Amino acid sequence: MKHGLVMDNIRKWVPFLVLLVLVLFFAAVNPHFLSLRNFARIAVSSSPALMVAVGATFVILMGSIDLSMEGTVAVCAVVFAMLLNRLGGSLAHMGWLAIPGAMIAGGVLGAVNGLIHVRLRIPSFMASLSMGFVGVGLSLLMTGGNRILIGDPLFRSLLTVRIMSFPLMAYAALGGLLVAWFIQGRTTIGRNFYAIGGGEDLARASGLNVGRVRVIGFVLAGVFFALGAVLAVARLGIAETETGTGFMFLSITSVVVGGTALAGGSGGVWNTLVGVLIVNVIGNGMVVVGLPDYLQDGVLGLLVITAVYLSMDRRGLSFAR
Amino acid sequence: MTDRVALAERLRRHFPWITLTTLTILVGFTDVNFLRPDNLLNLAADIVPLLIMAIGMTLVIYIGSIDLSSQSIANMATVLATIALPSAGVGAGVLVLAVGLAFGAVSGVVTTRLKVPSFISTLAVGGIALSVGQFASGQQALHMDAGQRLHAFGWMVGRTAGIPHELVVALLLVVVAWFIQGRMTAGRTFKAIGAGEPVAVSSGIRVERYKILAFALSGMFAAAAGLVFSVKLSGGSPTLAEGFLLPAIVAVLVGGTPLTGGVGGVINTVIGTMIVAVIRASMLYLNIPAMGQQIFFGLVLIVAIATTIDRSKMRIVK
Repeated sequence: MKHGLVMDNIRKWVPFLVLLVLVLFFAAVNPHFLSLRNFARIAVSSSPALMVAVGATFVILMGSIDLSMEGTVAVCAVVFAMLLNRLGGSLAHMGWLAIPGAMIAGGVLGAVNGLIHVRLRIPSFMASLSMGFVGVGLSLLMTGGNRILIGDPLFRSLLTVRIMSFPLMAYAALGGLLVAWFIQGRTTIGRNFYAIGGGEDLARASGLNVGRVRVIGFVLAGVFFALGAVLAVARLGIAETETGTGFMFLSITSVVVGGTALAGGSGGVWNTLVGVLIVNVIGNGMVVVGLPDYLQDGVLGLLVITAVYLSMDRRGLSFAR
Repeated sequence: MTDRVALAERLRRHFPWITLTTLTILVGFTDVNFLRPDNLLNLAADIVPLLIMAIGMTLVIYIGSIDLSSQSIANMATVLATIALPSAGVGAGVLVLAVGLAFGAVSGVVTTRLKVPSFISTLAVGGIALSVGQFASGQQALHMDAGQRLHAFGWMVGRTAGIPHELVVALLLVVVAWFIQGRMTAGRTFKAIGAGEPVAVSSGIRVERYKILAFALSGMFAAAAGLVFSVKLSGGSPTLAEGFLLPAIVAVLVGGTPLTGGVGGVINTVIGTMIVAVIRASMLYLNIPAMGQQIFFGLVLIVAIATTIDRSKMRIVK
């Protein structure tokens, strides 16, 4: 028993150790990897991904999954850009309303996801995948396939203004992470996510309204996808359907690699931070070392399989679908 | 009460082809030209790659799993087929099918032996296939040499007595899949797994082996879809088959194979694919833009899943 506890403790730190080993490895191959400028670069690519992955974390903690991020991020990015440009084009005046606007759009899409999943009793991966396709189509319809440029200097300062050589968006993402941490650990709804993920039967038997909690989880995920979308727009200054491309694979990988179990009930947003950093360090490191960046998908694929394999509690599992 | 349930069940089984006929007649009303045989043949020839992919996907959904890697494997297949054509000729086709089979088998092994849910394992294997496709192509669109293409795969394109050859190819593949499903031990086992995996395990069936086979076949059919598509377009690129995944899944589900597996099958998917084709064509007639299609098919998918899924198999819906 004691042995098992020790193993569990070690297992908990594995993702962090992997991150450390990766950093040391890339630093050994190319010392430039360790420069502050490169770390800032990693922070910029990690910030939007972190928000999206944190959103996905809540859903995965419940044992469900959300695969709608490509569509949701695209719609939120487009909604944000359109609102911002419609409201004067600057965050300084009425334009800041575009941020809550995007968050509402994300929340609504999340609610639709959750309601389809819970009310129609469809497995969440399929409900959200379908809604992801709908979202991509919706964003294409809204933009007509065009790009929307954002020139607002105040908004772009998220990328351009640096404090201690890290851009503002990194701090914004960190703030988002702290909020998520608060929700996860200090609110009833956060504890309920763990309760459902740990054992839905038990949660239901203790009188928890499981369906309601699930829908709230999806809404929360949608809101964080919207934050990710805003940061993604800030990064490139462009909002388009493509803004969402790649987020599905990236964020699911991050969550899983960070050590949050797909079966639900264990892990959390700090794991996701480590996971996002692992994924982005690999992406950045491969470029620094001189490998083509498109090999990333393959490496991440192998990583996901390994991580799920290692994290899965197979004692009570007779087969996987 | 039970009579009514039985009637509903029986009606549900006939629902796909009734939908198809109704839709076809409806579109025929808006434009009579739609019903002309040569138009219908063209329509059918156009969806051959989609049909082949959907057939493979059917086998995996039939056992209650899902394959999200099909599109990436087809993408990779278009690239590999184009690259291998000059040196291997027809062998390029065999090579591509073998690679598809191998990738599918990997998904199967990861799902069954490592017990990773299939939507994650196939997503990951799809990521690997995407990388291979991009690596092999150098992220460019490649073109087939016209002479070599004609020499090796000329039999795949063109027409005999007005029948497009792709249709014959597709028909052959459908027959093969139908034979596997209905007349071989493997197919019967697939049904047993889809109907109730624990029972199949308890009866001493080597379930893992057959599940791996189903995934491998799905990978091979996805590669075949990519092959046909690349021959058709005379080239390959790592994004050529983009946009196939959604209609392929829709075709399987609309055809009447539920996400929980066990019923439906290859012939259902043929009907499902035709429904997808007719819907697409009707959208052209109604001037609905391409992006509208994606929204529509996404919603159709939700409705199709919700109406066909067997909830008695899922105590907890995750």
